[in-house]
Amino acid sequence: MTDYQPFEHEQDDTGVDWNSPEMQARLHRRNIGDRFFRFVGFFAVTASAFFLVFLLGNIAQKGASGFLQTSIEIDVAFDADILPDPTNLEKDAFAAAVAQVNMQYLIRQALTNRFPEVTGRRDTTRLTRLLSSGARAQLRDIVIKNPELIGTTHRVSLLASDEIDQVVKGNTDVSVDEANRKLTDMELGWLQSLESEGRVTKDLHTRFLTSGDSREPELVGVWGAVAGSGLTLLVTLLTAFPIGVFAAIYLEEFAPKNRFTDIVEININNLAAVPSIVFGLLGLAVFLGLMGMARSAPLVGGLTLALLTLPTIIISARSAIAAVPPSIRDAARGLGASPMQVAFHHVVPLAMPGIMTGTIIGMARALGESAPLLMIGMVAFIVDVPASINDPATVLPVQIFIWADSPERAFIEKTSAAIMVLLFFLITMNGLAIWLRQKFERNW
Amino acid sequence: MLDMAEEKDLQSTVKPKVTLRDVHVHYGDVHAVNGIDLDLYSDKVTALIGPSGCGKSTLLRCLNRMNDTIPDCRVDGEILLDGKNIYDAKIDVVQLRARVGMVFQKPNPFPKSIYDNVAYGPRIHGIAADRTSLDEIVESSLEKAGLWQEVKDRLDDSGIALSGGQQQRLCIARAIAVSPEVILMDEPCSALDPIATAKVEALIDELSGRYAIVIVTHSMQQAARVSQKTVFFHLGEMIEQGDTTQIFTAPREERTRDYITGRFG
Repeated sequence: MTDYQPFEHEQDDTGVDWNSPEMQARLHRRNIGDRFFRFVGFFAVTASAFFLVFLLGNIAQKGASGFLQTSIEIDVAFDADILPDPTNLEKDAFAAAVAQVNMQYLIRQALTNRFPEVTGRRDTTRLTRLLSSGARAQLRDIVIKNPELIGTTHRVSLLASDEIDQVVKGNTDVSVDEANRKLTDMELGWLQSLESEGRVTKDLHTRFLTSGDSREPELVGVWGAVAGSGLTLLVTLLTAFPIGVFAAIYLEEFAPKNRFTDIVEININNLAAVPSIVFGLLGLAVFLGLMGMARSAPLVGGLTLALLTLPTIIISARSAIAAVPPSIRDAARGLGASPMQVAFHHVVPLAMPGIMTGTIIGMARALGESAPLLMIGMVAFIVDVPASINDPATVLPVQIFIWADSPERAFIEKTSAAIMVLLFFLITMNGLAIWLRQKFERNW
Repeated sequence: MLDMAEEKDLQSTVKPKVTLRDVHVHYGDVHAVNGIDLDLYSDKVTALIGPSGCGKSTLLRCLNRMNDTIPDCRVDGEILLDGKNIYDAKIDVVQLRARVGMVFQKPNPFPKSIYDNVAYGPRIHGIAADRTSLDEIVESSLEKAGLWQEVKDRLDDSGIALSGGQQQRLCIARAIAVSPEVILMDEPCSALDPIATAKVEALIDELSGRYAIVIVTHSMQQAARVSQKTVFFHLGEMIEQGDTTQIFTAPREERTRDYITGRFG
């Protein structure tokens, strides 16, 4: 039974004239608008790309030399009269005995042998200052490792002082008046003389990646800060991830939708926008003041950063959970799955890529954070690499801050080099997040 | 005329599987379903028809309490499954949904393997004792859903890799796997092309003797093809119910006649 009738189209005579001059002008204006917007957009992207390249280039250019370090080769006479005899000593006893030896004396001897014209206490001290104060420890380690050197004269490569290092790298302008620079003409003459013999070398500075902080720029390393950051982030991850994910699951899947949960939701969103230093104050008051935990320790830092990361994780986990199509929940519920089975068998596994992405982004933010850690004492000068979450430690951004604050010229490149290390970890984490998102992204 | 229909039902000796008595559903202030009395039988396919927003899907979702999760939904009246009120506090909704299965409008297989899709229900209810009997349940469910021949060699493939029609039959297989007594179908073919629709309809026909099937549909032809009983809703009220042939050939109500002939809806 069909009484279907086609719609009748009325023919109206007041039709639009698409070729009228007004219409053409309007079309022209629209095209100009289009082109203008495209140009502005292109300009914006180019400008931001330029700034990014400039920033990264600047850091890389300054920081690259921070991974190199100048060494000076000198002929050290390993005097058997001063050094202990290894033949009748245990390994540890030998090492302890070597540690007692005044290595500075050996170094001074070696240098004055090379420059016999240098006399007088003042000039000799200047001469020994060509080398880093860490050269003594270097020499000690060489002797302990190679006891057979005792009694011979051997050419060893020792770290130069940071000022010599900066001159060799060309960071210090030596053309200025002698009174206005740290190195005198005499010292520069010594350096030139050593250079002409090929005794000055620039090598990859593995120490920078393996040791902790120091007062001397040529002896500093980021490993202490990297380990501190690692331990801190571990604490953050282990606390913020489970709490955040369970909070998100509860809020999204189980909590009744009422005024109370609305207020909770608003507050979580607000917490994400709270300045990070406020979380530092909270950590100071609660973890240090109330609970009396160890100051400057990754445990407290991690917990404080967990407070900071929680809102990020909850918000991203909630949106990932909400993005799971309701049809999947219906399907599971329709089969008689309990609410917990629906959540943990179906919703959470499907939301996991999103949850992990959000967590990594939150972790990356925590990694770059320094302000809250200032409040709980992680800004200290710490030479030892932390071995546990209760050892005093510092983190990468704080380390960068400390170095940037140091007056020695050589810290400029160390700061940039540390920024490069931090950026490396940040880019790695973000890359991991992108990879996870692409690998597990699903289309329904 | 409602009385007449009821009398006719009472005359039959078969006990109804599901009985609805004066069922009202409210969404907040909206009165979506208004005083429905209806009997559903084990060996029959009942089609619920009516224009959009008439409350037929709402009523369907009451039958396995899928409306529970909607915050301000309120169900009054009695819905009896084998004489027991399913809205009784003592009824476990998890078990109820195992007894009253559901197939949805849009095919919604889990993004898991075909095998896991079908095995999920038996697993959570602990129906299969071991792997062998689970395999059997999966095979027989897919067999009943007419999908076994097409997927038996790729049970480990993802369920969402199947075509739309296959996905919907997979969903039906998944529902059958927990041996439900009633199967609710909410416009199961509305997202399918005509060929897939024909297959699903044939499947419903095949299953009709074994389960009480309730199907909501917008297609008059489909209601006429697959159902034995038809119920017509309009604006939350049940206008007419009866044997499908009677509804489509000799409707008692003018509104029913207008709707099935396409004059409104």
